[in-house]
Amino acid sequence: MKRLLLVSVSAALFLAGCGSSSDDDSADAKGGEAWSYTSGDGKTYDADSTPTRIIAHGPAAAALISFGIKPIAIYSDGPVDQDKSLKDLDLSGIEILSETYGQIDAEKAAGLKPDLIVASYWPLEKAYSGFEAGVEDSAQKVKGLADVVGPAEGDSVVTKIEGYEELAQSLGADTTGEKIAADKATFQTAVERFRTTVASKEGLTSLAVSPAEDLLYVAVPSEASELSDFTQWGLDIMTPDSPDPDFAYWENLSWENADKYQPDFVLMDDRDAANSLEVAQGQPTWQNIKAVGAGAVVPWPAYWMNTYRDYTDQLDQLSTAIEKIDPNLT
Amino acid sequence: MSITARTEAPVEQRPRHRSRATLATGFVILIGVLAVVCFFSITMGARGVGLSTIWKAFTDYDPSNASETVIRELRVPRTLIGIFAGAALGLSGAILQGVTRNPLADPGIMGINAGAATSIVFAIMVLGTQSTSTYVWFAFLGAGVATVTVYGIASFGREGATPVKLALAGAAVTAILSSITSAIVMTNVSALNELRFWQVGSLAGRYFPVFWQTLPFLVIGIVLALGTGRALNGLALGEDLALALGQRVRLTRVVMFVTVAILCGAATSACGPIVFVGLVVPHLARMICGPDYRWILSYSLLLTPVVVLVADIIGRVIISPGELQVGVVLGVIGAPAFILLVRYRNLAEL
Amino acid sequence: MAATLDVPVVRSGRKQRRRRATVVTTVLAVVAVCLFILTMMVGSYYVSPIDVVTSVLHLRDDPTTDFIVRDLRLPTAAAALAVGIALGISGIVFQKLLGNPLASPDFVGVSSGASLFAVSAIVIFNGSSTAISGSALVGALLSALLIYLLAWRDGISGYRFILIGIAVSEFMLSIVGYVISRAELYEAREAMTWLVGTVGQAGAGELRTLLVALVVIIPIALVLERPLRTLELGDDTAKALGSRVELNRLALIALSIILIGFATAVAGPIMFVALIAGPISQRLTGPSGGIMAAGMVGAIIVLGADLVAQQVLPTALPTGVVTGIVGAPYLIWLLATVNREGRGG
Repeated sequence: MKRLLLVSVSAALFLAGCGSSSDDDSADAKGGEAWSYTSGDGKTYDADSTPTRIIAHGPAAAALISFGIKPIAIYSDGPVDQDKSLKDLDLSGIEILSETYGQIDAEKAAGLKPDLIVASYWPLEKAYSGFEAGVEDSAQKVKGLADVVGPAEGDSVVTKIEGYEELAQSLGADTTGEKIAADKATFQTAVERFRTTVASKEGLTSLAVSPAEDLLYVAVPSEASELSDFTQWGLDIMTPDSPDPDFAYWENLSWENADKYQPDFVLMDDRDAANSLEVAQGQPTWQNIKAVGAGAVVPWPAYWMNTYRDYTDQLDQLSTAIEKIDPNLT
Repeated sequence: MSITARTEAPVEQRPRHRSRATLATGFVILIGVLAVVCFFSITMGARGVGLSTIWKAFTDYDPSNASETVIRELRVPRTLIGIFAGAALGLSGAILQGVTRNPLADPGIMGINAGAATSIVFAIMVLGTQSTSTYVWFAFLGAGVATVTVYGIASFGREGATPVKLALAGAAVTAILSSITSAIVMTNVSALNELRFWQVGSLAGRYFPVFWQTLPFLVIGIVLALGTGRALNGLALGEDLALALGQRVRLTRVVMFVTVAILCGAATSACGPIVFVGLVVPHLARMICGPDYRWILSYSLLLTPVVVLVADIIGRVIISPGELQVGVVLGVIGAPAFILLVRYRNLAEL
Repeated sequence: MAATLDVPVVRSGRKQRRRRATVVTTVLAVVAVCLFILTMMVGSYYVSPIDVVTSVLHLRDDPTTDFIVRDLRLPTAAAALAVGIALGISGIVFQKLLGNPLASPDFVGVSSGASLFAVSAIVIFNGSSTAISGSALVGALLSALLIYLLAWRDGISGYRFILIGIAVSEFMLSIVGYVISRAELYEAREAMTWLVGTVGQAGAGELRTLLVALVVIIPIALVLERPLRTLELGDDTAKALGSRVELNRLALIALSIILIGFATAVAGPIMFVALIAGPISQRLTGPSGGIMAAGMVGAIIVLGADLVAQQVLPTALPTGVVTGIVGAPYLIWLLATVNREGRGG
């Protein structure tokens, strides 16, 4: 009897050990032209037919939708109704696979039978959004369902948006229409206004920060797409001299040294704006940054802009704010 | 490993008859040591500040001077919290060890840290994110409720709250609370972030608002604690003897647990859970003073802040310009210290 | 076994008890396997039992179902099964050897020690999965040793051992908290599971180590079941009956520690399973019941807890949350029944 028990338990364990060798994805040839796209990681991805069932990261979805491609599902880093990039978008008919960073409902994703996943690529971490080191295993497994493509972050939001446009075109969207052209035109106007506003303030300096309870994080402009753009358009953003070697997007400043960099105005991470401001104001040394004392704190749209329309709005807001800044503060 | 009946082997200890004069001198020296440590706590940190600036910060304060702000608004409250919270933890540990007659009693066993953590994340879930000083109230409440619950559960039955039952009740309550905390934290990101920040005992990021909030409770608790010395000596003789000597055992026990709840609740709500000091320092005090609890309490009162502040200073210096939290430093030093302690001392009274 | 009274009444009584034990154990095993399959049936998509079995055995070729069952659900279910069995066996062996229902390796700090070393291997040394399992084992051994050394004075008295164990457990878990906070584990949720334990994040390598260990150790444990029962009678009686006391005891403790070490490497410190599996299985099978029954009960508890943890709330909870809430009332019940001296002390 005991031996029988032993055998059956071993059998169950053996079943359990029948590992998880995933089958090759059998490509459903639906007919249509072959598809090819050079993604942000430098590699070119091909398919026999144009992908139609697309899962996208929230901001990437916003970009695709602005160019006429609607994904079948999205995964977001936070609650969808609080995501700045998804504001004002019609998300009806789109499945939501996640509202928490690091998690994706892999079962739902598999059931949707996707043939492409779209997210931006972070060169520093060598990973696409949603699949960085540290996300849950089940989220990582979603990578196995389809190719992940998307433009790279870091250099410029403009090139990123152009990358999404190129991707949308390859997926069959017509990006030559009136609306898109109009969006591009208003964007160019906003850029010009930003350029002239900054140029009119000689010697203007700024600093991009994200306040936390225990540390003040100072952003490295070259790793943030929009900050790189601003620098290209003439804004002087101070670069911290000792970024965190393990996560080089920021330098970690103790609040004791909050006054290490003195800019004319502060760009504050706007992703959780009310909370960030409250945290900062609770720190006695926040006031030691002269710009803070002068009320020169401006929201910084950090890492989330992916469409011409959002960029236009944000640039206009920035220009209006910068017009009031005194460039001779420091 | 033979499992035999518990032996009533007498504890072998060298008779420790430290004269009152010696102990009093030692106490004064300790005050001096504490003062020196405070000095270092104020002068050392991520930002280099000269002594003349420090002097000026106290005599002729200029709020627009960043260095002076750092001294007065960051380092001074940090040092003060370290002193009071440290004293609270040391006293609680000594009292707990005395009243439960478990030399391994530590405030964490009473579910205090778990209780504080649960109420913090619960507050975030219900009220949304707030400033650190708001959490202090919740943490305090949670710690107090947890202690009371543990004590209550343990006192069911005829023998009341024996060491075993207290430990079991503490483990059970901690388990339930940890489960609830995890459940909340897995579904609420801001709760998770706040818990992560709080979960390691730290003196960083705690400024005057937190200090003023917790000070009244800490003072009340310390005063109460210092008064329990005589009662603890009585309990150390064993309950029956204590009763025979006219001590109101049940009442004193309740008072002691309430004191512990107040002290630990306030300390944990201010700095987060700092383990080891409540356990190790009273033993150190006992090694120096002998078994009289009045002295053990007095020495713990000063010794624990010294240990906490030294650990904090080490944390500030060792990976400059970054910082290591005081809880981490104490964990690293405390574990081997604890083992050494147990090896070279007979664990009396179990 | 020793020469006992060979009276027919005694013999038939023994046979009856043994039969009951075997029947109950088989039933438990069946329940465990059913839960195992059930776990793989539920989720965002319902998969029928037939589909689950055929998918696991590689008898079908439907990429979506296969992905869901084999890549997503099977690792978790397998981890739950393996960890449950390991914890159940480990717990009952410990409890019987030390003669105390409270002396369970998770409760007295062995699994927290394993957890500490495992998470340190991940965070500080970026270890491979063998390194992680190995470190967990080392951690389990060291904490067992630590508690033994701290608690020993002319023998181990029942409740001093428990008190020291609880204290050590608490310290280990505090240090785990510190290690995690220092870590570059950007996903703090993943870090939290090292404090509470979950089968959902099981690493494939660690799982394989545990499975291999189980396949090797279970036969050994079954062989040692009789010596274990002899040991329960007390050292002197056991020696008189010809049993090799020290060797058997060492083997049993070693096997128990290995199991819980590897199990913790897979799922973190899932509290209370080792503590309650033994007593529950004993109650069901009667005194002739054995190690396998406890293993099966452990598997049922973990599989059940995981099912509840995954399905009850919209976000999946760690397994340890459920076992914590379930195990704590048992502890409180134990409180009511323990006397001042401690059971078996």
